[in-house]
Amino acid sequence: MALNRRISKFFFPSLTPNFVIRAGCIALAAYLVFGHLLTPFWIKGNSMEPAYRNGQVNFCWKLRYLFSKPYRGDVVVIRFTGERITLLKRVVALENEEVEFQNGKLLINGKEQEEPYLQYPYDWTLPARRVEPGSVYVVGDNRSVPMQNHLFGQTSLTRILGGPLW
Amino acid sequence: MVTPVRTTGKPFNPTGRVAKKSPSVGQRSMIPDWLKIKYVLVSMALIAIGIGIFFMFLESEEKKVKKQFHLLSEGVSKETGENIFTLDQKLKKIGSLFNDTCDMAIPAHSISGQMTREEITGYAARGRLYVSELHLTFHDVMITFPQEGEARARVTARLTGKTTAGEGINEAHEIDCLLKKIEKKWLFSSIEVVEVLKK
Repeated sequence: MALNRRISKFFFPSLTPNFVIRAGCIALAAYLVFGHLLTPFWIKGNSMEPAYRNGQVNFCWKLRYLFSKPYRGDVVVIRFTGERITLLKRVVALENEEVEFQNGKLLINGKEQEEPYLQYPYDWTLPARRVEPGSVYVVGDNRSVPMQNHLFGQTSLTRILGGPLW
Repeated sequence: MVTPVRTTGKPFNPTGRVAKKSPSVGQRSMIPDWLKIKYVLVSMALIAIGIGIFFMFLESEEKKVKKQFHLLSEGVSKETGENIFTLDQKLKKIGSLFNDTCDMAIPAHSISGQMTREEITGYAARGRLYVSELHLTFHDVMITFPQEGEARARVTARLTGKTTAGEGINEAHEIDCLLKKIEKKWLFSSIEVVEVLKK
């Protein structure tokens, strides 16, 4: 009987001022944390496989690049359009660096790069180009698709919202 | 000694005090005080409602610009089995939303340069041949008015539907638009798809 009462009190609490204040504080904290610091996102697509798979859920840690710029190899969340549509890509070249693809090899300033995060072979060839100041060059990990069908390139640092939590 | 001179004929009252007239018995107000407050509150509420309705129906410039996006989305969208009459109506609607010439920059479709209204409707008509169903919606509309008669809007355009080959369409782009007010109508003068990733 007492247990029943406790269960019913847990699911249907009485609306006392204390309860309302507590519920309000929790709602505010949830809004601040999940709306501005750790925004949840849902991965749609295979462009970051095998590190991030289609259908996975993750959180964007928005304070990650508050005091620093992204490093080469970092996975970043990029604002694509509006507030809701974002891209998950890996930074392969930093500002003022020269990036190039030669028969499936990534070259930065003419030097071939090791990319342990790649699982699938690819055959992209793209002439060398210099990354503009205030930008980074991002590419997905799954480069098995034709280059024309893969969204990659240089993007402004201002578009980087943060990094995935894991 | 100075003797005050009475010139008005009113009783002398050096302190300016006003004597309160006490209501005589049997001359009480017909409306009680609580009812007077009620009348005031009701009239204030009515005024507030009136002001609200006025602003609701008063179309702000921002609303007018947003309406143009709504009309564009209606004009571009296509339902399965659309007849020629509807197509004609929609193309006319699209044409009426654009300025005589409009600067277009859509890198994904290799469109760049100035297009006339006729060219835009022609392009829209040709594009519709490749889709069996198409829906265009605009989200996150941000409008600024940099100068008189000009509105700049940054929106998210979402295209969904199906091609005639049965492939699904699901695209989203950030679009930068410039609208100019010509003869009390906001007309699209520039449409540019923002290139987030430059290869």
